[in-house]
Amino acid sequence: MNELIQICTSFLGSLGFGILYNIKGKKLGVIGMGGMLSWIVYLMGMALFQDKIGALFLATLAVGALSEGLARILKTPVMTLLVPMLIPLVPGSDLFYATSSLLLNEIETSSEFLNLVIKEAAAIAFGIILITSTVQILHRFQLDRHSHKKNIV
Amino acid sequence: MEQNSQMLSLILDLGEMLLVSGAEVNRVEDTIKRLAFAYGFQRTDVFTITSSIVVTVRDASNQTLTETRRILSYETDMHKIDQLNSLSRQICHAPISPESLQQKLQQIRQGTPYCRLIQFLDYAMISAVFSLFFGGNLQDAFAAALCGCLLKLVLDAGKSIQLQSLVLTVLCSFAVAAAAQCCVLVGIGSNFDQIVIGNIMLLIPGVSFTVSLRDMISGDTISGLLGFAEAILKALAIAMGFAIVILLMKGGAR
Repeated sequence: MNELIQICTSFLGSLGFGILYNIKGKKLGVIGMGGMLSWIVYLMGMALFQDKIGALFLATLAVGALSEGLARILKTPVMTLLVPMLIPLVPGSDLFYATSSLLLNEIETSSEFLNLVIKEAAAIAFGIILITSTVQILHRFQLDRHSHKKNIV
Repeated sequence: MEQNSQMLSLILDLGEMLLVSGAEVNRVEDTIKRLAFAYGFQRTDVFTITSSIVVTVRDASNQTLTETRRILSYETDMHKIDQLNSLSRQICHAPISPESLQQKLQQIRQGTPYCRLIQFLDYAMISAVFSLFFGGNLQDAFAAALCGCLLKLVLDAGKSIQLQSLVLTVLCSFAVAAAAQCCVLVGIGSNFDQIVIGNIMLLIPGVSFTVSLRDMISGDTISGLLGFAEAILKALAIAMGFAIVILLMKGGAR
């Protein structure tokens, strides 16, 4: 039940941030679906590894690949799709708990959360980079073949 | 010469608008390079960080020109990024005259934001949805939606008097936490944490934090560090506004 609510709300959450970032038209629907997918993959990862970091990494890979593909179809910068789709994964609440417990002088809780946030953000960042560089490499191969065909070096 | 410097200014206008709208540093540098090449400059060196763009170009007659832009405020607008991106693609394909470029930039700059009602509803929806997402009940979601509208009001008011961004963040999170506390006292919602966290999602720099790590890992250390420091400062500012309310409540309870 809880998971079902999270999946539905992740759709609306990504959609809402899409509107916040002034995205228009059919892309909004795509972004909502992407946000929902990110959370579904995260939940699947959690069931698989029992580990937040691994699940986040997996979900980022899925959303990264999806947005790279869709960006080419919709002819728009990857980032305009990727950022709102990542919203459900972003460690906002943990970052908040880390800082608020710091100000309430609960140093141990704070450093625990901060540790977690840095790992989570790093998992997402690594996921994005892995996808971006894979796409770049693929693109280069494609260009190489293209130029060989036309005999331009 | 005169014409070339005007051209450079236009290219920088485009780059600046990209950066202000929230495009990545990489994209801005790349776009400026491509545009300069399309308009016949021989060599282009661009240095961009999140708060500044420096461009030096050399034209066909071996003259060098330099222009710098300082970026002080940002407003994420992905529709603009999208439009600017297709404009620059079009130019690289077939350069258009400076006049029509200027006209198109003007058109994009005016922008087409959603109407205010939709913006308010959007803030309310995001807050409600994330308070449900983090385990709140329907009552909490309703309370969070009310706080979300208040948050938008405070944000708009603060922006219209050009309040410094960190101060505005403290003020916003204070307003949200206070309103959430009131909602709990009145009995509209029951879980203070879940009401607040929905609104916090609108303020917390989770995206810039993640993007800054990405910049650092991909070799753009300066932009990454700037973004990282800004995100941490903002998170602290949010916690501060929030802590004021908690401390007041503690005092009240005694």
